[in-house]
Amino acid sequence: MTFNPTRRQVLVGGASIATIVAFGGVHPAVANEDRTKIAVRVEKDLSNLDPANRSGPVDLNVIWSVQQGLISFKPGSTEWELDAAEELEQVSDTEIRFKLRSGLAFTGGYGDLTAEDVKFSFERFIKPDSEGKPVTYAKDWSALDRVEVTGPLEGRIILKNPAPALYTIALADGSGRILSKKAFEALGEKAIATKLIGSGPYVLKEWTPREQFVLEINPDYKGAIKPHFLQIVGKPIGEQKTAEIAFQSGEIDFTAIDPESGKALAELPDASVTQIPAIDYVWFGPNIEKAPFDDIRVRQALRYAVDIDAILQGAYSGIYPRANSLLAPSLLGYWKDAPVHARDLEKAQALLAEAGHADGFKTKLTIEANARYEAIAQIIQANLAEVGIEVEIEALESAAYWALGENDASKDLELSLIKYNGKFDPGFQTQWFTSAQVGQWNWQRWKSADFDALHEKGGVTVDPAEREKIYIEAQKLLDESAAFIWITHNLNAFASRKWLKPGVLPNGNNWLYTAFTEATA
Amino acid sequence: MRSASLQIHLAFKLATALLAVAGSVVLLMALTRLIPGDPATVILGSRATPEAVAALNARIGLDKPLVEQVFVFFGRLVSGDLGEDVFNGRPVLALVASALPNTVALAISAMLCAIALGVPLALLSARWPGGKIDRLIAFLSVGFISTPSFVVSVFLLMVFSVTLRWFPVLGAGESGDLGDQLWHLVLPTAALAAGWVGYIARLLRSSLLEVLGENHIRTLRAYGVSETKILVKYALKPAVLPTVAVLGMGFGELLGGAVFAEVIFNRPGLGSLIYDAIRTRNYPVVQGGVFVIVLLYVLTNLVADLSQSLIDPRERSRLISGRGQ
Repeated sequence: MTFNPTRRQVLVGGASIATIVAFGGVHPAVANEDRTKIAVRVEKDLSNLDPANRSGPVDLNVIWSVQQGLISFKPGSTEWELDAAEELEQVSDTEIRFKLRSGLAFTGGYGDLTAEDVKFSFERFIKPDSEGKPVTYAKDWSALDRVEVTGPLEGRIILKNPAPALYTIALADGSGRILSKKAFEALGEKAIATKLIGSGPYVLKEWTPREQFVLEINPDYKGAIKPHFLQIVGKPIGEQKTAEIAFQSGEIDFTAIDPESGKALAELPDASVTQIPAIDYVWFGPNIEKAPFDDIRVRQALRYAVDIDAILQGAYSGIYPRANSLLAPSLLGYWKDAPVHARDLEKAQALLAEAGHADGFKTKLTIEANARYEAIAQIIQANLAEVGIEVEIEALESAAYWALGENDASKDLELSLIKYNGKFDPGFQTQWFTSAQVGQWNWQRWKSADFDALHEKGGVTVDPAEREKIYIEAQKLLDESAAFIWITHNLNAFASRKWLKPGVLPNGNNWLYTAFTEATA
Repeated sequence: MRSASLQIHLAFKLATALLAVAGSVVLLMALTRLIPGDPATVILGSRATPEAVAALNARIGLDKPLVEQVFVFFGRLVSGDLGEDVFNGRPVLALVASALPNTVALAISAMLCAIALGVPLALLSARWPGGKIDRLIAFLSVGFISTPSFVVSVFLLMVFSVTLRWFPVLGAGESGDLGDQLWHLVLPTAALAAGWVGYIARLLRSSLLEVLGENHIRTLRAYGVSETKILVKYALKPAVLPTVAVLGMGFGELLGGAVFAEVIFNRPGLGSLIYDAIRTRNYPVVQGGVFVIVLLYVLTNLVADLSQSLIDPRERSRLISGRGQ
């Protein structure tokens, strides 16, 4: 009853293993040695390539590289530079004149880029589509009255009101891309969601859904922004861990990573890790319409009771920067003298006693379910327990969590932990805290007429210095309310091959493929 | 009379299968709309205005009552239309058709791999029950069954992709390059098959030991037939019947269960298509994908059911003679 293998069985077994090993050896998944092309990981597949109906940064990054705007963002900055426009002048608060470069042409034989195309592309946002519905990003151009064509390559953008944010929210962003009117009319509105026609540095050579997209240099491109790599292959990889493994195995050259993985990846011989402070805003706060949070003393007690530095240490490995106000340091309106609220349990207990809650109370903290937010919630839970506040944590799946912004669902919230993405204009960030957003995205349900007025004023003030003062004043009001306990502006981290310099914008989500270059030693 | 009995049996099985498919789809459509969240929030960002959300829902037809949407789905199904991706208007049928071969290839290769390893292991165990080999195989089998597949996946990736760089991490291989596609299939197959190897080995071993204890086997031994010949030639065929039934269900489970392998190995199959669509509340893709999975599940069970009837002479004769109907 024992198994005694014969010599033949041993030899056959050994030979089989050797064959498998040899077979494996001839198919190595080696790193990309060809430095004229790169493979980058994108978090999801392309969805909709119509600039007016795009579905997120993955779409936008590709649209940017294929379609030109009058202006585009400068690599690594929130500032812009001329793109399809040779000249762009703010003639008055409500008029912008532009002159296009000559010789710019659309791919696919759709002719030259003209001022008519600019008019068509921008006015799409203020006109209903073929079904009578507004385009998805209609709000970006809400200040637009009309575009007047004054010559084949010249025109005037006429606004209904001053809109200083227009440059970063629309003109340099996705909503400022110039479509070919001729292509749109020939292909139809539906087809342009999947077929990208542009005049920019790259062409979308291939898009195999859920496998990859391929950008290749546009041989007919005559613009000023010069791309470096001949080919850029985008691989949609949803799982962060898979992306990191693919990077380690050499199948991709660039990926966003969890900053905590940065140290391990940086130790790879051919890898380089870049960290860029982000412009998001993560905070937690109470619904101030609900007792006992309608009492400012209770809100102040919360702020004294929570240890933000412990959260940054425990949930963010101590590598994320602390936020003390709404706007991140790289944005206009950053409040550098914002108070840093240190933990003070005695003050917290005194305030609670003063408010009639010396024995504490029970409450619920709602979060989006993921490991980091759960860690934050547990630290908050432990911190507040020390002053007698018993916190129940409610973790909701992502879509269910964000559905709280619909149908006034936020009215039942007590405490909530929230992360919003930032954009380059401060007015984008302040809009969510206005009174009009109560019932939608102002989950603290905090209302301030003064704040609303400052937000409105900031939106139409053209002078940057004046705008800066306005947004700092607005942040002071947020601070006085004690309804917002800021945690971090987040941190973006990327792993790339040592020879690759990525072109990432300060928000971390948006990349300029044209700005991906070879790193110089 | 005899063929009528078989036809009734087949018709009954088919009708049950169709009913199961239709019921599953209706249930799914109801469930997907009960959970909070919608595609508009995904498309427009989490802080879209209610007006923009309403306009988008109207554009993609999600403003209609659920019952109307169910009828629209089945109405379209008759003409072979599974609807459109809400994000870009691509036909769901095309998305499913491009993903399905990757999933079917993975499920088939995992099942074949599990059979190819599981059956010999079962034979070895049954050949020397209680011996060292049997104990070793029992240990390995339980180990394979109890180790979560995602752990096996990550382990395989770290060893064979990152350290040795023998196998790729991503995708299903270059379209049209069979060798490349097979190469991309190795690790997901191994990850998916591991548990089934152990399961088949344990299940078949039990059946074999049961058959080996029967009278006709004792007679064969008395005639001096070798133990290996008895095992392979006379015991395996009757012993394999319960395993065939399990494999039928197992194949269906592999089609649905391939999702983790497809997500970890970034394989563009049906499982990952549905997974992504659920995350983005892309209802038409969820419905179309699940419909096809359910259809395949029911069909493989039907085939397993019928093939079991054909393999088992007693069942075959009962069906043909019409007894027991």
